Amino acid sequence: MVNEPAGHTEVERCMSGVSRKRGASSLLGLFILTFILLTSRFVHAQTKEYQVKAAFLFNFAQFVQWPTNAFPNAEAPFTIGILGDNPFGRALEETVRNESVQGHRIVVSHSQQLQDVEHCQMVFISKSERGHVGEILSRFAGRNILTVSELPGFANRGGVINFYPEGTKVRFEINAAAAQRERLKISSELLSLGKIVEPELSKGGP
Amino acid sequence: MSAVVFLQMLKWSVRTLNFLWYFETGFQAKLRFSGRRAINATAFFLLFAICTTWLHAGEASPAATNTPSALFNSTTEATNSASSFAAEGPAAYKKMSLQELMNLDVTSVARAPEPFSQAPASIVVITQDEIRRSGASSIPEALRLADNLDVAQRNSHDWSISARGFNTALGNKLLVMIDGRTVYSPLFSGVFWNAQDYLLEDIDRIEVISGPGGTLWGANAVNGVINIITKNTMDTQGLYLEGGGGIPGTGEVAGTRSVLRGFAGVRYGGVLASNVYFRVYGKYFDRGNEEYPDGSPANDSWSMGQGGFRIDAMPSSLDDFTLQGDIYGSDLSMPSGGLANQSGGNLLGRWSHTISGNADMSLQLYYDQTHLSDPETETVLGNTYTQILTDDLRTYDLDFQYRVKLGGRHQVIWGTGFRHTHDVVGESEIVQFLPPVLDRNLYSAFVQDQIQLLEHVFLTLGTKVEHNDYTGFEVEPSGRLQWNVTTNQMIWGAVSRAVRMPSRVDTDIRENSPNPPFTILAGSPNFESEAMIAYELGYRAQLTEKLSTSISTYYNDYTDIRSTSFTPATVVPLYFANNLEGHTYGLELSVDYQVLEGWRLHGGYNLIKEHIHIKPGEVDINNALNETADPQQQFFLRSSFDLPRNIELDGALRWVDRLTINNGGTPATVPSYFELDSRLAWHPTRWLELAIIGQNLLHARHVEYGVPGGTPNQEEILRAVYGKVSIRW
Repeated sequence: MVNEPAGHTEVERCMSGVSRKRGASSLLGLFILTFILLTSRFVHAQTKEYQVKAAFLFNFAQFVQWPTNAFPNAEAPFTIGILGDNPFGRALEETVRNESVQGHRIVVSHSQQLQDVEHCQMVFISKSERGHVGEILSRFAGRNILTVSELPGFANRGGVINFYPEGTKVRFEINAAAAQRERLKISSELLSLGKIVEPELSKGGP
Repeated sequence: MSAVVFLQMLKWSVRTLNFLWYFETGFQAKLRFSGRRAINATAFFLLFAICTTWLHAGEASPAATNTPSALFNSTTEATNSASSFAAEGPAAYKKMSLQELMNLDVTSVARAPEPFSQAPASIVVITQDEIRRSGASSIPEALRLADNLDVAQRNSHDWSISARGFNTALGNKLLVMIDGRTVYSPLFSGVFWNAQDYLLEDIDRIEVISGPGGTLWGANAVNGVINIITKNTMDTQGLYLEGGGGIPGTGEVAGTRSVLRGFAGVRYGGVLASNVYFRVYGKYFDRGNEEYPDGSPANDSWSMGQGGFRIDAMPSSLDDFTLQGDIYGSDLSMPSGGLANQSGGNLLGRWSHTISGNADMSLQLYYDQTHLSDPETETVLGNTYTQILTDDLRTYDLDFQYRVKLGGRHQVIWGTGFRHTHDVVGESEIVQFLPPVLDRNLYSAFVQDQIQLLEHVFLTLGTKVEHNDYTGFEVEPSGRLQWNVTTNQMIWGAVSRAVRMPSRVDTDIRENSPNPPFTILAGSPNFESEAMIAYELGYRAQLTEKLSTSISTYYNDYTDIRSTSFTPATVVPLYFANNLEGHTYGLELSVDYQVLEGWRLHGGYNLIKEHIHIKPGEVDINNALNETADPQQQFFLRSSFDLPRNIELDGALRWVDRLTINNGGTPATVPSYFELDSRLAWHPTRWLELAIIGQNLLHARHVEYGVPGGTPNQEEILRAVYGKVSIRW
């Protein structure tokens, strides 16, 4: 290599028959080929983020105590509602299958309509409802619903729990005052893991 | 066990790893297998034994056993977060505790922490995940991930790194900090990049701010600030091991291997007491020679070892204490001949205290010591002289910061700082710094107020006032306006002043000819601070859930930039003056697109136009060429795949425009180039990661910097392929 004549192009150098070199260029070829092959056959599965968030929802149900009048009767299920687009796929159903909260079997209900999830004990408000948060929260007020979302400012505006990303990890913030208003008792363990947010001081009081 | 012994152990283990590579491939196995290798292998296993002992020591300490086991388990969980592949799916997640869930990585892409996407400045945050997936083996390589920087590798162990131009070998307009400790050298106001290292696995993020940061950060933050932030020890619990080396046959000179011959690193993190966490780490690497354009080896091999610790204590929810320290030592073969040595260490303590919901403060104190021994070669009138230049620097630094919310609309930060440096340059005939021993004090104070003018409009006004022993008082004010157009869009603008205060090169240097004795170049005691006023305008937006972008533009007006003048009657000595001025303007653009859930694309573009000229009626023997060496355009494209079966595939393509560099007052050129880095990694289990990394794959070798046959000499950077094994326990 040291005495190589000048003027050879890079390609000529790579093809110059020295096996070491061929190794390097075919390695590069392999990289490119892998890129192309894998791009074309890449199909994504259920998102990990929402599988994890489903587990969070299940956990929240364990760490919050609902008043007894939140359930119509002792046999009534514990319903987790998803309002708007469903980002979980089947993950939430799979997570809560054969599980119960305070003796109530957990079921999942998904709807685009507000009135369909009003009877739920927990409602996950999807990002698709971004423009209607105020309306939704005022409709839910006083119904002992644990509202959960992932919209910036959701907890400040009166939602109970809000997911937010921190680096690659999921974090959540809790509006303890909102929980108290809905007579939801949040365990101290949950409170210690979440970020406590103060309700927003909007014009005209909280 | 002394640190020296420990580093020696690492050294042996690296050699053993090399040996294993050869042995595995059957490549020259016979030749290499000797008694000495067997001893090295023994040392390697000894290292494992020591690590295991550490592990046991951590577990057996009374404090650790008093810790509730649940807490201990949940913290060890955290270390695996970067590659938690084993138990997945709803069934696995529902069995996890909330703490465990919070430690999972849910996105392949780390989003910038919220505060920074809100900051009204040109900021790039390089996350740990991006560093890991880039295959970077050093901090300068990791900095290639920042679109707003120009990173040029000069040789195996030297880089020129700058933001917004002025990227010379003596680049001096960037402030670089590691965990709040300033690492630029007052010798030339630049950074010895080959003395800055860390176990990359334990870096949390690198924040790169292009543009002036003088108001908050102070002198030297003229064109940018780089903040390297290591992880909290809570997030580095457990054992981490890494090792690897160049893959045989990928080096270009017959008989050599990849430039990165071998490396190894180890970290162990544990619990000292309730709410007190620690980690200790050590690392070592050995790099081979790059080449000259004629294919001959450049004699610039480099090996370095570093070790350190960090302790974080949270005695109450209101107080955070951090104590950390590092030591390092390195041998650097010099292209100009001889062997340079660098060593050093630092110790830093920080106390952060929350006073109330509206106020907090932090107090930081550090000590830093560096030693440099560098053979200097100089040719004068046909005679070549080589002498050793030594520099010993001690830095003592104290910083206080206070943040308070006043009324509903003001958020005020103020702070004070004091730094003392004690610098000793050894006696050398050809390169001198006069006086050889110099003590300097730097006092500073700053105040900044962020005012909410309207619901979505914020004005930040502030200034830093600094007193240094060279030029006295310096004032660095800035004003920033931020308008949150919607929740996802922000427009910002800023006007700031920043200064680069004189360094010892500017004022104290003497380059001498021994025979006949005369001074060729002399520093100038009257050297002034270089000053800049910057005008910036930027836009940042999360356009859709999957698409985000950032555009920053700037116009920088410089006065009193360094020049080299001469005395008309005698010509020599040449001396430094402030006879250059001019302006630069440009833009930085970046786009992030999440194509699919497991596929992310990133594009970046960087443009700079420079107009630096000699002040009317003045002279510069370098014709205003010596302070700049910048590609006018750079283009970046990166792709990150998460593939089935726990495989990650990453590629980073960069194009760097040709650059003009000073060659004794005439312009020389470094050609433009395309290069590609790639990494393929597999996580067969939760605790194991196997990766193969290719760097500069497109060409057998390419030039990034320098003057052919001049100073700095042009060197070719080789294509390199290396393998890496990581274990996270």
